[in-house]
Amino acid sequence: MKQYDAVVIGAGNGGLVAAIRLLQGGAKTLLVEKHNLPGGFATSFKRGRFEFEASLHELNDFGTKDNSGDVRDLFDSLGVTDKIEWLQIPEAYRVFSREEKIDATMPFGKQAFIDKMEHYVPGSRPSMEKFFELAEEIRAAQAYSNSVNGKTDKNIMLSKYANFVRCGSYSVNEVLDSLKMPKKAKDILNAYWCYLGAHCDDLSFIHYASMVIRYITRGAAMPKMRSHEISLAMVERIRELGGDVWFNTEAVKIFTGDDYGVEGVLLSNGEHIETRHVIANCAPHIVYGKMIDKVPVQVIKETNARKLAGRGFTMFLGLNKSADELGIENHNYFLYDTMDTAKQYEIMKKIDTNCVQATVCLNRAYPECSPEGTCMMYFTTLYMSDDWGNVKPEDYFRVKDKVANMMIDRFEQDTGAKIRDAIEEISVATPMTYARYCGHPEGGIYGYESQYWDGLTPRLLMMAEDHKTRGLRFAGGFSMRLSGYSSAYFSGDITARQTIGDIKREG
Amino acid sequence: MAFQFKRQLFGFMDLIRFKKLVPNRRRHLDAASDAPLPKTYRVNETAAILHPGNQKATVISIKTETADTKTYTLQLSRKMFFRAGQYVEISANVNGSVVNRPYAISSSPLQALNQSVLSVTVKKAGFFSNWLFDNAKVGDQLIVGDPSGNFHYEGIKDAETVVALAGGSGITPFYSMAQALKEGSESFRLILLYGAKTRKDLIFKAELDALVSDRFKVVYVLSDEKAEGYESGFITKELIAKYAPAKYTCMLCGSQAMYSFADKELAALGVTGKWVKHEANCVGTRDVKPQQFNLTVHIRDQKYVIKADATETLLVAMERAGLSVPSKCRAGGCGFCHSKLVGGKFSIAGQDKRRLADAKFGYIHPCCSYPDSDLELIVPAGLE
Repeated sequence: MKQYDAVVIGAGNGGLVAAIRLLQGGAKTLLVEKHNLPGGFATSFKRGRFEFEASLHELNDFGTKDNSGDVRDLFDSLGVTDKIEWLQIPEAYRVFSREEKIDATMPFGKQAFIDKMEHYVPGSRPSMEKFFELAEEIRAAQAYSNSVNGKTDKNIMLSKYANFVRCGSYSVNEVLDSLKMPKKAKDILNAYWCYLGAHCDDLSFIHYASMVIRYITRGAAMPKMRSHEISLAMVERIRELGGDVWFNTEAVKIFTGDDYGVEGVLLSNGEHIETRHVIANCAPHIVYGKMIDKVPVQVIKETNARKLAGRGFTMFLGLNKSADELGIENHNYFLYDTMDTAKQYEIMKKIDTNCVQATVCLNRAYPECSPEGTCMMYFTTLYMSDDWGNVKPEDYFRVKDKVANMMIDRFEQDTGAKIRDAIEEISVATPMTYARYCGHPEGGIYGYESQYWDGLTPRLLMMAEDHKTRGLRFAGGFSMRLSGYSSAYFSGDITARQTIGDIKREG
Repeated sequence: MAFQFKRQLFGFMDLIRFKKLVPNRRRHLDAASDAPLPKTYRVNETAAILHPGNQKATVISIKTETADTKTYTLQLSRKMFFRAGQYVEISANVNGSVVNRPYAISSSPLQALNQSVLSVTVKKAGFFSNWLFDNAKVGDQLIVGDPSGNFHYEGIKDAETVVALAGGSGITPFYSMAQALKEGSESFRLILLYGAKTRKDLIFKAELDALVSDRFKVVYVLSDEKAEGYESGFITKELIAKYAPAKYTCMLCGSQAMYSFADKELAALGVTGKWVKHEANCVGTRDVKPQQFNLTVHIRDQKYVIKADATETLLVAMERAGLSVPSKCRAGGCGFCHSKLVGGKFSIAGQDKRRLADAKFGYIHPCCSYPDSDLELIVPAGLE
């Protein structure tokens, strides 16, 4: 029987980082992945003369060499930054909302962002300045918390980061109202909400503000060869460090002992790996529901308590005309029905009503990403209920086409660009595709929802007590840092460092 | 501090609220049901019908179509649903090695969904097809993979009418489409120009004739025979123009030689780019002097040193050596055999269809790569 200090299950963003960190910490590590490729959603695929990005719209918190973000710092310490060619996203976003008749294009850079907001919403400046001040303090408080591994000193928090604590229990809208931000400025500022998948009455302000400030002050980045470049760079790094990576190898069971703790892993080829430490880059629903035979009742309850977040839908288009010819002006669009995010969240529950989209034209960040005279786009939405579960197999292809058509129509109507006749390649991923590809329940792509009670702050505050099964920790979108690329990377980092600690304590 | 954030009348109330975050979350976690976690989910169940993965299938009938083609009908162990025109990979254990090949599905999508029945039509050519042709019998067990490929109607970008050009056994995907139009699992207009040498070489003629409707029309084109009710010669631009409407998408399935000829004819008609779709053909042998190289293969923690010939792809070399390695399209496109090149030289058959980062980090597709030196590869595991 083979022995490893730790086994990482799943080579998604969290699992890849976790494997590197485990190896850097001296652990003999095996990474198993059921698919033939690394990255999970961080991959690319080819159709005709186009290579599509599978999921990454823009990597937050990366920054540049001179203004580096936390993700770049993490990549530096993993030893992967320079294996990847990076490019910067030109502007933050363009947001359309039908109900409020909003069409606003927002830049990166704090001052530029505040100035542009003042242009759209005269009188918004004081509240926007306060917003950024609060957000800066939140970032500083988080940096302090990370530096002490979450064991913060109450007195330091209250003296140096009092505003963090004071606003820490409120939703996005509660805080923005307290800042007396004009409604239209709030509407424009809240455009990023769909990246976190919980509406602004439910979503923690701290969580939202810490994302926005990172985007706006550090900009966003993209690997030139799509996210597949990041995933392959990480695999290369794991192998350089002496780690084993086995593709087409599914972990089907985690063996546990009398203490419910980890004793080994059973692989799809029947092989039994002996290990006392597993980092699972997959959903606790799957791990506790299918992979472990004996699960404590408390763990079952805590897993049942979680709410599955947005189920994904993405349409990829390869167009046989350039972005200029088609009238696609921007890199990153958010198209909403309303900026009443709670109402929008309701509309996003049903296939028939959901037209919300976060749409990217990659050529606006990287003109050479497709052949001259062409461009590539991808359109993403989330479903806030299990409505795709109602789609019968025999209706599936029709429903898929219907939604794709709705999204094309909506984009054309709102932006005035004309894209339909130029479609040379199309590919559509639905919740079924995501369910098949990564095994996530209901085809979710956002892990567990960032509901008020289960938001980032209480999760981080409870990190130690959430760890209930000896030797088993989680990484990726379903873990404590919530979903999204940067969050998943950080989750892999934290969880592997904790596992190294566990291993050392065991001696 | 420039300003002090305050939401409630008294600032300390905000602090108290913060303190409640943890007890509040504990309460929610504690209040949840202790019912067993779901074993499955509806979306995941449907996904398992659309992408059932490898499954066992039993041969329930074998029909001889022409002198060199047979249709094998299989009872699947699970339901499947697909787009008419897609292919499946069929695998079998041949003399102790797992061998496989992709075949276009020749039966209808609803038959696979409702009865778990699937047919493939096999032309006697190549190692695995020859083996099937000579050995497979009713009751045998094979492995069937996922329905794959993009050679199907795409309503959002294709014209309402598809003009299909089929050469010989290239009829299979279109026969599936004709059945799909009849049963309603596809909806578009299909005009099929089906080329064969003589009447004897036409596969599914009676079946196709019976499927003719206002949505489906078939024209037979014989190259080596003249007969009444049949077009004769090749599928030329004149012939296409005679039957095609003003606007159409052209889908082609046949040999490489047929594609070269038909592409020129279509270009002359102004039908190019997004309006033309070809089904990819499996990569075959390379016309060079035979030369043996050493190929070192790592699969998980196992290491094998085998022989690879300059005339054959790396995939074939591994299969010949009895290694179970992944493959699907065998045409360089699907990336299922994606493997890391540790060292050595290789050539790619036709166009390089790899992802950009694959070339950068040294990954290759063994199904379309020939060895030019000794080589070392890290390969994902194939069927267990």
